[in-house]
Amino acid sequence: MNQVTFPVLDKRVIIFAGAYGSGKTEVAVNYAAGLAATCSEPVSIIDLDVINPYFRSREAALSLEAQGVRVISPHGEMCHADLPIILPEIRGEIERSEGKVVLDVGGDNVGARVLSSLADSFGRGYEFLIVLNARRPFTSTVTGSLKMIHDIEISSRLKFTGIISNTHLIDETTTETVEEGYRLACAVSTEAGLPVKFVSAVGEAAKRLDPETIGVPVFTLKRQLLKPWEEKDRAARSSKNKGGLVLCRV
Amino acid sequence: MSRILMKGNEAIAEAAIRAGAVYYFAYPITPQSEVGEYMSRRLPEVGGVFVQAESEVAVGNMLMGAVASGKRAFTSSSSPGISLMQEAISTMAAARLPVVLINIMRGGPGIGGILPSQADYFQSTKGGGHGDYRVLVLAPSTLQESVDLTMLAFHLADKYCNPTMVVADGMIGQMMEPVQFPEDYKEEPLPPKDWATTGCRGRAPRIIKSLFLDPAMLETNNVMLAEKYKLMKQNEVRFEAYKINPQNRILLVAYGTMARICQTVIDELAEENISIGLLRPITLFPFPGKEIFAEAVKPNIKAVLTVEMSMGQMVEDVEAAVQGRKPVEFYGRTGGIVPTPEEVRDYILKILAKKTPAVKSWKG
Repeated sequence: MNQVTFPVLDKRVIIFAGAYGSGKTEVAVNYAAGLAATCSEPVSIIDLDVINPYFRSREAALSLEAQGVRVISPHGEMCHADLPIILPEIRGEIERSEGKVVLDVGGDNVGARVLSSLADSFGRGYEFLIVLNARRPFTSTVTGSLKMIHDIEISSRLKFTGIISNTHLIDETTTETVEEGYRLACAVSTEAGLPVKFVSAVGEAAKRLDPETIGVPVFTLKRQLLKPWEEKDRAARSSKNKGGLVLCRV
Repeated sequence: MSRILMKGNEAIAEAAIRAGAVYYFAYPITPQSEVGEYMSRRLPEVGGVFVQAESEVAVGNMLMGAVASGKRAFTSSSSPGISLMQEAISTMAAARLPVVLINIMRGGPGIGGILPSQADYFQSTKGGGHGDYRVLVLAPSTLQESVDLTMLAFHLADKYCNPTMVVADGMIGQMMEPVQFPEDYKEEPLPPKDWATTGCRGRAPRIIKSLFLDPAMLETNNVMLAEKYKLMKQNEVRFEAYKINPQNRILLVAYGTMARICQTVIDELAEENISIGLLRPITLFPFPGKEIFAEAVKPNIKAVLTVEMSMGQMVEDVEAAVQGRKPVEFYGRTGGIVPTPEEVRDYILKILAKKTPAVKSWKG
């Protein structure tokens, strides 16, 4: 059994970026919830995903708000839009002096470009973390991962400060999957000169990790962005789809 | 090759490359734009060509030319974009051109919205364009199946010289699941493309056309097409039966992601000793009507329930299949709203609680 601790990062602003589908949103949402549970300061999450039309952190807004996390995302019907909306309050939130801010950035260099418009706001008080998933096609090798780091740094005008090893296959994730990803993250770490800040993994896979193998903190994820057929919590299901017209013949 | 994590749109794009597609023409539209992005990265690696067209109308015409050359070509789009291609699809059906089209469906009608939908069932299975023609329509429910059916689509298109479409709602395009690509992909032998316009030096010219001014020739073409559709109905019906058994009290019919919602409900109701079965059409045309009929008429079945993300489209084919022998019920949500397992469960319980069936059993 591994020590499952919440890996608190000291910086006020924590930015998660990476390749499409590396699991940034799941890590960011879980991390914001974890911060809210462990810190006394106010915690907010900024949904900066201007790439994906679905499965964004704003979809976990209800649950996050319930856990004390302020969610900053486009309002009203615009929350469903596939437009690159950058709210004016985002800059204000980043430049504030108190509280913790988590940024969930869209995938690849294309998604990270939005950061370049905010780059001047970050000052020195931020962590810029690359979320790596070795089971994704373009980051399955050291070379591919280094290219991703390079491309994102150029488009965002920010330098990464660390790596999050988040290798997974959703519900097919095993301990071996996580360990294999950690090995890649370590190799990338050596080449890029960036520390691996933590390993993140879903509950069962995280529990069985060997602390001898993993030399950094392990952050246990609870999946927040479930597909509609995966939601087993009947109360959570019922809270969805309110207000719509229901079509039936009975 | 080990299992990798892919987004649906990427998986479909990679599957097309593995199936030998070398030409891709498209115009971006949510929720399928990642197909184009992936192709722009991958196609040059395999010596292929991607042209981003000025509109979906142009895409249709580019496809026509590329497929006529005998090479594998395809496009991907979402509902409004597929509407714009209908004239070309009708023409390619008439001219027997084996094009592959991917429709990652979003809410309609009109520009509608960008969230998932299954409201292009009519469009894909009943024509969409003008004239007497059919398109082979495949509907995956998982990302692995999206890979397998995309590869199959290229084979079936060539086998029947017919437009073949893969339809999936936006969730399939946007969600992520582990997938695996076949190590070395082999297809059943296909007829030679002795109709392809490859340059006529040293042989008689070949003409691919859909214009027949002589009514007898046009009718002959239609009859020959109809014969082909009959063959498809005989040979290509695909479906999956989930927990179908003689104890079933309701037969569910759903395709794509709606089938997965239904499976969750079936598993949960099984724990409460309520037996429900699901027949999931994998081919929407040809439709597994006979198979649905065979299950629907079983004595314990009280009703057949179709679940769709539409106002009720496939349910018309289910009604035709059941031939009035059992009540056919419908549950659907639209606009991009996905029915929750809870809603489907409640609806099933409502049907089971009803005293008399809505439609009287036909006594034959």
